[in-house]
Amino acid sequence: MGVNDVKPTRSELIELKKKIKLSQGGHKLLKMKRDGLILEFFEILSKAKDVRTELDAVYEKATEKIGIAESVEGRIVVKSTAFALKDTPQIMIESHSIMGVVVPKIESSSVHKPINKRGYGILGTSAYIDEAADAYELMVEKIILAAEIETTIKRLLDDIEKTKRRVNALEFKVIPELQEAMKFITLRLDEMERENTFRLKRIKKS
Amino acid sequence: MEIAVVGNSEFVTGFRLAGMKKVFAVDDSNKLNSTVTNVFEDSDVGILVMHNDDFNKLPETMRGTLSESVEPTLVTLGGAAESSNLRDKIKQSVGVDLWK
Repeated sequence: MGVNDVKPTRSELIELKKKIKLSQGGHKLLKMKRDGLILEFFEILSKAKDVRTELDAVYEKATEKIGIAESVEGRIVVKSTAFALKDTPQIMIESHSIMGVVVPKIESSSVHKPINKRGYGILGTSAYIDEAADAYELMVEKIILAAEIETTIKRLLDDIEKTKRRVNALEFKVIPELQEAMKFITLRLDEMERENTFRLKRIKKS
Repeated sequence: MEIAVVGNSEFVTGFRLAGMKKVFAVDDSNKLNSTVTNVFEDSDVGILVMHNDDFNKLPETMRGTLSESVEPTLVTLGGAAESSNLRDKIKQSVGVDLWK
């Protein structure tokens, strides 16, 4: 709202005062929300870093294990064993809210299975394949954890950015413009009053 | 919901061994894009797992959409791709590089 758009009337002045008060209240609240979100973010950030490091380590180990299994047993055997598995890990995505940001909570059916529940014959396969399957099951668990935490971080960051924009827009654009408009109206009203007094004086004189 | 894995046959075998069914072996890099798009549109997929190198082969817009997406969530393995993704996002949103 530019200064030129406002009508210099008393009702407009009252309206503006109300708007400024509202904007300042909103600004304060949003600022608190931003700070709260950043605090939450910091808490999750360290978790995310840990999970990422763990995941990288587990991935390296799992690739190593499957490499060994493939070189000992042959790629075809590993593949055919893999096709014999019947239980697929299922995940459930629930959501909960952190300061109004909806973040997912991922739960999974048990990924890590005992050796006799996997679905392939124990006698026909070697321990290398078991180890590889073990390592990959562990990795899937970590992946699920990483997915939850990283999604939470993404959502929090989105909201932090949005809130920051709002706070800045209110602080540097909306509130100053409203205040400027208010100042303009006050000055104009004063000016009109002076004009009026002067006019009355002139009329009285003549 | 399920976890989907897209990558070359070497990368995906291990995931089959962990019991996953939505495993897509793509050895031809031309088909990578269409496979990923199909998985992305599958409403039964909650998490998409990819290798960092395969992820980098995707077009820029696709990468953007995938890393912003929440359902399915992308998890890349091998290398520092995900952390750099998040790192850029953190830099953009908070203004400081906090991922160190």
